[in-house]
Amino acid sequence: MNNFAEIIWVNTYRKVTYYTVAVNDGDALFDAFVDKHAVENKEKLNHILAWIKVIGDKIGAQEQYFRNEAETADTSALPPQGVNKEPVYVEYNEETGTEENKPNNLRLYCLRANEYVVFLFNGDIKTAATPQECENVRSHFKMANKLTELIDEAFQNKEIRWINDYTEIEVDDDFLLQWD
Amino acid sequence: MKKSNHNISDWLDQYGDPEIDKFVEKNLAITEKVRVAMEAKGWKSQDLAKAMDKTPSEVSKWLSGMHNLTLKSIIKMEQALGICLVHTEPIKQYEYVYLGTIKGVDDYAQKVNDYQESYADQAYEIAL
Repeated sequence: MNNFAEIIWVNTYRKVTYYTVAVNDGDALFDAFVDKHAVENKEKLNHILAWIKVIGDKIGAQEQYFRNEAETADTSALPPQGVNKEPVYVEYNEETGTEENKPNNLRLYCLRANEYVVFLFNGDIKTAATPQECENVRSHFKMANKLTELIDEAFQNKEIRWINDYTEIEVDDDFLLQWD
Repeated sequence: MKKSNHNISDWLDQYGDPEIDKFVEKNLAITEKVRVAMEAKGWKSQDLAKAMDKTPSEVSKWLSGMHNLTLKSIIKMEQALGICLVHTEPIKQYEYVYLGTIKGVDDYAQKVNDYQESYADQAYEIAL
């Protein structure tokens, strides 16, 4: 096993607890996502984080508020998507002085473990029709699918355990997700 | 379990645009209300689209929770579903507010009367 990932707690809201992972002793994936896009894509990141907070606080991680990004495992992403539509966010156009619906092509890959627990991974600006074709997001998409697969297995093996009526998880202190 | 360096709420408080927070919050509140009303009627997006004479993809876009809904589209959904999505308070010039009752009204009136009389006596003495 050459690679490993440690589970990290991010936030607990009234309806959802968010976690992330740190791969091979690096920064937590969600931290890397925020650090990068807080500079490069602040408004798009703001929309996604506001979305995560509202879902966490008021609604719960319902399936329709995530987009399906499954390849080898049940991975999702934010922002969500309407049928055959790219998700949009509202941006102020300084030239015209109007608020406009613009596509939010920033993707945050994640695993919706249930309505109360979500793992947030990493992501980037998607510039091609599919994540496999996009140089920006391909590696994040593949990693998210790999991690989803490993986390699902760890749930089945009881290495990750549900607590508090399936609203949170616990792991042993030395637990690591491992893969080749 | 270790903690992330980024607390989402802290980030939003520190760097976020409150308008974006409110936009997302209110938009999702409207979307949720529409979703619950549709469930109660046993409707799918296509049914709502048909009731509003819109395309299903347009309705999906409206219900994505991230679309900048216009007042017109909100009212269209209200009409189609027979619900109120946005409540506005009636315009009031004044409002009666119950503050409670005063016990021992007679004592109170007597005290007011005594005070006024003593004040009048004092004024009279000063005038003299």
